[in-house]
Amino acid sequence: METRTFLLELHCEEIPARFLQPLADEFKTALTSKLEGIEVQSQYSPRKLAWFSSMSGMQADQTETQVGPPQRMCVGEDGQPTIQGLKFAEKWGVDFSAVRFEQPAGKKEICAVVTVTKKGRPTKELLAEALPGLIAGLHVPKAMRWGSSDFEFVRPIRNVLCLFGDEVVDFTVDGVKSRSTTWGHRLYHRQHPEPILVKQPEDYDAALKAAGIVVSFSDRRAEMGKQLHALASEVNGRVVADDHLLDTLAEIVEVPKIVRGDFPTDFLDLPKEVLVTSLREHQKAFCIEDANGKLLPHFFTAANRTDDPKGFVKSGNEWVLKARLYDARFFFAEDRKHKLETRLDALKHLTFQRELGSYFDKTQRVMQLAERLAGLLGLDAGHAKEASRLAKCDLRTLMVGEFPELQGVMGGEYLMREGAPAPVWEAVKEHYQPAGADDALPASELGALLSIADKLDTVAGCFAVGLIPSGSKDPLALRRAGQGVIRILWERGWKSDLADLAKSALTVIGVKATKPETETLGALAAFFSDRVSYQLEQAGYAGAVRRSALAVGGSDLVGLKARCEALSAFADDPRFASLAQSAKRIANILKDEMPSDAFDAAALQDPSEKTLAALLQKLEATKDHKALLAELAELAQPLAAFFDAVMVKADDPKLRAARLSLLHRLRQAFLRVADFSQWQ
Amino acid sequence: MQIQDLILKLQRFWADQGCLIGQPYDLEKGAGTMNPLTFFGALGAKPWNVAYVEPSRRPADGRYGENPFRVYKHLQFQVILKPSPAAVQELYIKSLEALGIDLAVHDLRFEEDNWESPTLGAWGVGWQVVLDGMEISQFTYFQQVGGLDCRPVSAELTYGIERICMFLGGLDNIFDLPYGTVRTDEGEHIVTYGDMRQREEFELSAYSFEHADLDLHRTLFEAFEKEGKRLLELGHFRSAYEQALKMSHTFNVLDARGAVSTTERPGIIKRVRDLACGCAKAYAEHETANAAKEVL
Repeated sequence: METRTFLLELHCEEIPARFLQPLADEFKTALTSKLEGIEVQSQYSPRKLAWFSSMSGMQADQTETQVGPPQRMCVGEDGQPTIQGLKFAEKWGVDFSAVRFEQPAGKKEICAVVTVTKKGRPTKELLAEALPGLIAGLHVPKAMRWGSSDFEFVRPIRNVLCLFGDEVVDFTVDGVKSRSTTWGHRLYHRQHPEPILVKQPEDYDAALKAAGIVVSFSDRRAEMGKQLHALASEVNGRVVADDHLLDTLAEIVEVPKIVRGDFPTDFLDLPKEVLVTSLREHQKAFCIEDANGKLLPHFFTAANRTDDPKGFVKSGNEWVLKARLYDARFFFAEDRKHKLETRLDALKHLTFQRELGSYFDKTQRVMQLAERLAGLLGLDAGHAKEASRLAKCDLRTLMVGEFPELQGVMGGEYLMREGAPAPVWEAVKEHYQPAGADDALPASELGALLSIADKLDTVAGCFAVGLIPSGSKDPLALRRAGQGVIRILWERGWKSDLADLAKSALTVIGVKATKPETETLGALAAFFSDRVSYQLEQAGYAGAVRRSALAVGGSDLVGLKARCEALSAFADDPRFASLAQSAKRIANILKDEMPSDAFDAAALQDPSEKTLAALLQKLEATKDHKALLAELAELAQPLAAFFDAVMVKADDPKLRAARLSLLHRLRQAFLRVADFSQWQ
Repeated sequence: MQIQDLILKLQRFWADQGCLIGQPYDLEKGAGTMNPLTFFGALGAKPWNVAYVEPSRRPADGRYGENPFRVYKHLQFQVILKPSPAAVQELYIKSLEALGIDLAVHDLRFEEDNWESPTLGAWGVGWQVVLDGMEISQFTYFQQVGGLDCRPVSAELTYGIERICMFLGGLDNIFDLPYGTVRTDEGEHIVTYGDMRQREEFELSAYSFEHADLDLHRTLFEAFEKEGKRLLELGHFRSAYEQALKMSHTFNVLDARGAVSTTERPGIIKRVRDLACGCAKAYAEHETANAAKEVL
């Protein structure tokens, strides 16, 4: 059967960028489930969702098995068909000779059975029937109605183009009849009022290109990327990369075009972060920097047309940007009229969390915690206290009011200009980092400390009032904060104990806690253990290494890291697999026993256990993880030999006690580095 | 272009499209949507087209007349088309052409921007219309007003008059905008937006940031609510709605002063919304009763 190309294009009023791809994908799935075995491609632009597929012109014939009455009712004692038997054959349009007798699944006896062939239908007919339902069934997160209809979609559907080969697939969606024409770019139709005709799906891309639209998102994105780089080299600069912004721009235009704009150089006095944020958030524009990372007074943004005949596109964007930067400069100047610390009092009116109080309260807590941490880590406690005192003040500045994502950054900038000590302003600037898994860690020691203190207070505080993340619910992003604490401690190699940190944070929270302390500490321990486990995974340790190392404690990250490093050298050592089995056995044997630490070596009889006792002395004397593991590897074989040779629970109580103690001491020696029963 | 020209052109254009030309409603409000021509007009089944200018007050945006882009009070030009016509985007584009904005030389985009008014119990979906990178209009398909589903759906077009004027004139300061020309026996002179409004901006900003009596405003808020509820009990949704508007503005004054805490805020907004939704419901019932009478 010949194949033909199917094309459906929904031409809508501008569809929000964020819905385009999900809708394209969803319809793909829906169509594939309706017509099995087909492949569907999609394209989209702000006003278009289009799908292509190659399909057979006819659906394949389908055979179905129809089960009739039992054989005894269809065939008489004389072997001739009964009336009932004949009627069954007649019902399915076959001769009685085509009726078979079989026992179908689920039936208790042999029945009359026929195989009927359902003629495959023309695909076009099937499509016409199915498409309205498939389109109406698309799930739209923020659906709307329009006009007088109850139909719901993401935005009003204004034209439906649907072809199968060179024929129109006839159907109607919310009163819009499918046809073989569509609409190009608005500019194109100012000169060509007629709709554009698409004779066959293969012509679609070219027809739309001629009418001013590049329907493929990836083509638009690639072309815009190219233009960005070409324009940047024109001004001897490079684009401050932002993949997300490029996606957004490619999603909001129908034709790829980057325009360059310039702004007055005096705005370059603003902090770089302010310029980058203002340009991105307000004007969807890229910044350009020179080889030293210094911004140049240019910006690049997208236009939904390929030319700028009178320069209005450029001048318009420049005008708006100037207004925005004027605003930013106004905020920057206003904010600096008063020292940052004058906002401290105003933090009393800014709620952090209902039970945990205001940002002022939080500041007081973080100050205590930071001071304590500084003592612990040997950092300047005065600086730690000062940085945490001022850390949240920028929440009350105009600039952060306008650009919340500049929190921290502005505080740091303002403090720097006030002449605050570098460690203090750097710490304030960096203390929200890392804001996510891909974000950088604070570069300065004090920034890292402040970040830990702030996040620890948030996590412990929320846990103390019962706000604990569960499943997919983590509205306060506590997991992200917790992960940040772990990442910083891990990368810095700071010697600290997570359980102690959690306890310190809870002490500072004090009476604000609504849950019993032991309960909260337990929940925090489990929470941090998960975060640590994730960190180990991210660091690339093998599963055996992670499980066995973490099982003997994850509270001291420095120790854990050292153990993981040491263990990794043996990750593929077969002797460790054997050791793991013995370790499991030991754990089982000791489960209900209370062996004493001391044992009578003289009571041991078998050479295998005497060997073990000798090795144990060596093990216990070894301090270094690596050396210990090397000895443990050597222990694997004697240990296996021991289990082969002796019955641990001997009848002689003295012997039995000695063997149990020997195993117990061996186990204690293992556990200094890992719980090998978790190795596999 | 002078501000008054822009207004006259928009009024002429939309009148020609079959819209009534309405007038601003004489109470303080934050947006043209609050005018009863929109609030009640968007409810019910009867077709309804209306366009009007609405001075809109945003106490928190006051800048003492010193910021060239932000003002306490600005002018919105509001159009309601019910049901939303199939060619509504083209109509809008034609209105821009009527203002002399030739799309052959400009870049026009419709970027997602959904609108919500928690005090009116209203929301819709739509776009901000962006011309050469600048937002010049808000375009919304009303889905709910006063907590009631809009059937049919109205399209609301809101033009920022000062912005468009500044943009067209390439001006960097709102107060330099030409408002119009005065001709007398002694000659003619251009009156600027600054001549008309700068002192007003100064005083109204000073009022909302410094001089407004907060205790009085708290008392007023309570009193307007009480009055509104009483009127609503009489079934008088139009006079009750005026009280809701007064509550809304009183809240905005308090809010600009930071006198409303974050925790208090949702509760206060809800009190305004409850009254507005009550008015919408009473209006709908009134309309249903009227329609029944007509059938009889």
